Amino acid sequence: MEPLDHRTKTQQLADDLSWLEDHCRRQPELAEQAVHLRLAAGLARNVLGPALEDQPPQPLHVAVVGGAGTGKSTVVNFLAGAVVAEANPQAGYTRHPTAYLPADTAIPWPSTLGFLGPLRRLTQEQPGNLDEDVYQTRRLAPTTPPSPLADFVIWDCPDMTTWAAEHYVSRLLEVVSLADMIVYVASDERYNDAVPTEFFRLLIRAGKAVVVCLTKARESDAGTLVEHFRQEVLGRIPTTDATTIPPIPVVTLPHLSMSVRNDPAGEGAKYRVPLLNQLLVLSPSAAVARARTVRNALHYLEAAGDSLLHVARRDLAELETWRELVARGRTQFEERYQNTFLAVETFQRFDRTREQVLAMLELPGPGKAVSNALHLARTPWRFAREFVVKTLIRPELPHQSETQVCAESLQGWLDSLQAEALRRSGNHPIWMTIIRNFDATLKPQARARFEEAFRRLQMKETDELDQAARAVPEYLTQNPSVLNALRGVVLAADLVAVVLMIGLNWPPGWELLLLLPLGVSISHQIVESVVNRIVGVSRTRVKDHRLDLLQENLTAPLADWLTTQPTTEGSSMEKLKRVLTRVPLAIRSLQESVAAKAPHTPASENPV
Amino acid sequence: MTPTESPSFLRTLAPLLRGLDRQLRDWLDRPKRFAVSSIARAEIEGLADDLKRKSEALDVERPHLVIMLMGGTGVGKSTLLNALAGAPIAQSGLTRPTTRDPVVYFHHSLRADALDPALRFCRLVQHERDALAQKVLVDTPDLDSNDLSNREKLLSLLVAADVVLYVGSQEKYHDELGWKLFKEHRNRRAFAFVLNKWDRCADNPDAAGLRPDEDLLRDLTAEGFTAPRLFRTNARTWVEAGLDGTTDERPENLPPGEQFPELRHWLELGLTRLEIEAVKARGVGQLVEHVERATQAVMPPELETAAHKVRAAWTDTLNAEADSQTEILSGTLEPYRNELEHHFSLQGQQQFRGLMAIYLRLTTKILYASSNLRDRLPLLPKFKLSSNNDTRVDLVAFIHNCARSACERVLAQRLTALANRLLVEADHRGFPITLLNERTHESSCSDWEDRLTQCVVESLIETETEATQPTGWRKYVRGGVTGLGNTLPEFVLLGSLVIILWLFIVEQQVPNSLLYLLSPLYATLAVMIVLHVLILLLLPVRWSAIRGEFQSRLQTQLAEEFHRVFVPIPTEVAAQIRDEKRQVEYLVTETRQVADWLRDREQKAQISDLYGR
Repeated sequence: MEPLDHRTKTQQLADDLSWLEDHCRRQPELAEQAVHLRLAAGLARNVLGPALEDQPPQPLHVAVVGGAGTGKSTVVNFLAGAVVAEANPQAGYTRHPTAYLPADTAIPWPSTLGFLGPLRRLTQEQPGNLDEDVYQTRRLAPTTPPSPLADFVIWDCPDMTTWAAEHYVSRLLEVVSLADMIVYVASDERYNDAVPTEFFRLLIRAGKAVVVCLTKARESDAGTLVEHFRQEVLGRIPTTDATTIPPIPVVTLPHLSMSVRNDPAGEGAKYRVPLLNQLLVLSPSAAVARARTVRNALHYLEAAGDSLLHVARRDLAELETWRELVARGRTQFEERYQNTFLAVETFQRFDRTREQVLAMLELPGPGKAVSNALHLARTPWRFAREFVVKTLIRPELPHQSETQVCAESLQGWLDSLQAEALRRSGNHPIWMTIIRNFDATLKPQARARFEEAFRRLQMKETDELDQAARAVPEYLTQNPSVLNALRGVVLAADLVAVVLMIGLNWPPGWELLLLLPLGVSISHQIVESVVNRIVGVSRTRVKDHRLDLLQENLTAPLADWLTTQPTTEGSSMEKLKRVLTRVPLAIRSLQESVAAKAPHTPASENPV
Repeated sequence: MTPTESPSFLRTLAPLLRGLDRQLRDWLDRPKRFAVSSIARAEIEGLADDLKRKSEALDVERPHLVIMLMGGTGVGKSTLLNALAGAPIAQSGLTRPTTRDPVVYFHHSLRADALDPALRFCRLVQHERDALAQKVLVDTPDLDSNDLSNREKLLSLLVAADVVLYVGSQEKYHDELGWKLFKEHRNRRAFAFVLNKWDRCADNPDAAGLRPDEDLLRDLTAEGFTAPRLFRTNARTWVEAGLDGTTDERPENLPPGEQFPELRHWLELGLTRLEIEAVKARGVGQLVEHVERATQAVMPPELETAAHKVRAAWTDTLNAEADSQTEILSGTLEPYRNELEHHFSLQGQQQFRGLMAIYLRLTTKILYASSNLRDRLPLLPKFKLSSNNDTRVDLVAFIHNCARSACERVLAQRLTALANRLLVEADHRGFPITLLNERTHESSCSDWEDRLTQCVVESLIETETEATQPTGWRKYVRGGVTGLGNTLPEFVLLGSLVIILWLFIVEQQVPNSLLYLLSPLYATLAVMIVLHVLILLLLPVRWSAIRGEFQSRLQTQLAEEFHRVFVPIPTEVAAQIRDEKRQVEYLVTETRQVADWLRDREQKAQISDLYGR
């Protein structure tokens, strides 16, 4: 696969996850999910993207994280081997991440598109309390001897405990997702706090290689604290194997005097070395460390994938309910149309067709005289029949016009949707959104669409009716031979009737005056019922097809449009659905791509 | 107010608060139509508990002040209490969280059972320091560790606090969990602040950020505390030096600006009896204000104007609906016009007697030969009226069937749509539809088929009565026509017979033809035909003539029926809600009275710095 494909794929995945994250942030009760989504998006764009584009493993990234005031900056200084970060007593001072780049300028800065996502790189050095979506980089001065972390980028991060933190935790997560190794700093005050511990667990779940640094304890107490931390925090991390404590290295950095803090490479070396050792143990080589980062990122995406999408599913369920409501309204619309209009509509246009066909079957030219004679003979029958029809046949049921029925049905449809939305308004924000927009936009738009569709429908209906009504006469005009044959048949029937009557009354007497009209009337009645039957077939067909026509031109498009209308604060059903299907596919495809790139990686290797 | 009379003042409050508590609970137990959200309900229940607690706490000779230390784990709450006590009474230590069992530190003159129930189950430590006689110091578990049960313990204790001593350290003074808790409680209790581990705050004066105490003061100012009591302490140094600040002796290695002695001084002397009572009264005042706010928040809205508007809108909609349904229902009767006319003819002819009756029956028979209405009247006249009921029953059954089929076809659907329409309209006029939903739905689902059929039958019978027993000028026309019909044919027949007989007997004229002999019959028939035409013209029974009348009646009937069922709903609901609103208003008034009473007596002690704006 081309690098460009990878790029678009990871970018797409990260975008989808970010979109879901935004979606969650708009609903306060989903804020916790937003954290996981941000981490997942970060893993996709900062770890998997560069890996698939064959970026070199150097530099590795070490992120220093922890609660406010735990001594993150001091730890950064110890990692760098010089005072580069200012330890600041104001809690929550640092608001954006700062990267300390290795002294060796030959090590490239990752150049993937979308690297660190929404964070902008500051070109100038700024104080750490700049509260914007930015990060800054500072180049470390070369040291002698060269730092053991010579090809590491060291990240100083904001905290996650102060009450301003909710604004900048996402920046912290962005850097955490990128990191190959993380130093989790916990002080003697903080090490068993709920908020940092939760964050720590997230790091473990994401498969990051973590070194814990316990700070500020007295040197004599350090051992007790480490043991307590192991029991209370590490021991309670949910693992597959409940009895063991995860093998996460813990080092201590006791409460140091100012002079030690100001000289990490010299006086502080005795505390610095164990810390560096743990980091170096975790990264025997850049390639191995990076491979682990990539593998674990995939693991996390795979394992968390389903729960990540949970939020979207909930919304989708509500949108499904809306769709069902629309569909139910549609069914009611169609039923109403059928019951109040179609059931009583007779399509009188076909009566004319019948007359037309009957007229065509009369004999032309000189035969006209014969036809007229027969017509005259049938006069008594015609009168008798008219009388019977008048007394027996009931008048047409006066009914509402199609326009009226449809307008009323539409009103009913919209009302049912609005009432249902109002009933549900407490359940989910989506219903509130629907209600807010109902009168102002949804209703008038639906009406406008309806008007247009209805006009089109009526045009089609008229066309179809006309076509169906004209079909038989037209066929007969276009096929004169058939017409003439039929005329012959009709004439033959009449003749047969005449001959039969005469035969019955041989020798002819005055009774023939009664029998002859009776005979030709019967024959004509038979012809007429056949014509009626033929026209009736088209009439039924039109009637049956009418509902299909309505569905196709009016109710189906309108229902589709209504279905797509509601959105949950900018996230439409379509987008939710797309994201829901796309994300798992993208994760799977990334897995395949990574597997294809590193077929030699043994599967049994320890993920942490 | 002088301190000497203040105990009675605080004691008077106790029964007032008890009364409020009782009223709140009564209100909570009452069933309500206007749903109170579970959050609001829980809040009011909690407030009722608080009222009860306060009333009990105030019902003593000398009220004591509960000062509670609150903060994250490891900030040094227990160490601070130990330093204040001058003895290791609270468990302080290295591992976090340290304090699981809260410690209550109080004067020996105070009986343990006088303590708030929430405090009775803590570890109780008595002392003999008279300077702290009226103060109860409480060390609480943390609010931020992984042991979530500690947080629950703290929350259950916090309700008993009068003054909260918010303890922070350099690391934690800015933490979200503590800050949130502070904001939740700041309107209910007094707050003072301690920045412990002061040495760690002050060790880097050149750093770019603010010093923690400045930072905290800035945040507090933003929260409305213009001059908060903030003490910078290093409790551990005092404990390790074995000093408790009672003497002027200070530990050697104290950082500059350390204020532990000031804290102790404030606790012992700053909070005099006057202040204690002011804090107590203020606490009650805040609680009562909170109750007022909470009850205001659950106040049902005023719905009567909305109900009025909804009523008007519904009337219009229901009239329109009655129009359409009338059209549909009369449409279903249209195919049976023959039967209806037949029926009306029969009804209209009942008042005729004799020859005219026989004639009319015969003509009707012929005219409505195709009618399906079973005519049980025999061809020959029987001069009886009993058959009247039969045709009517038949007609009723017949119309029943028509109307029912119409209902099944369209009306059921229309009613669901109608209910939806009504709800939407109510919503447009600002009436919460959750209150209407159930009843409207119920009303739209009940036995409408029967009711509508009933309406059709009734209007038809009314129309019939109108047609057959008219009022006004038509009554006289009808009387005249009937009179003529019942007498004229017989008169003509008899008269012409008499004339023929007269001519035959007196004039000796022999009838020369059959035609001449039958002339009385012709004459009578002619008269009857003329009368028939008159009847048809003056008392029409054609369906087309009756239909208009029938439709307007049916429209009225349907509209009445709809109005009867739907229109009262909003008003009734609004009335119910108004009753509930009155109850809440009563609660609010009661609460406000207590609050006003309290405000009148509030004394100007030096406690304003313990409360933000």
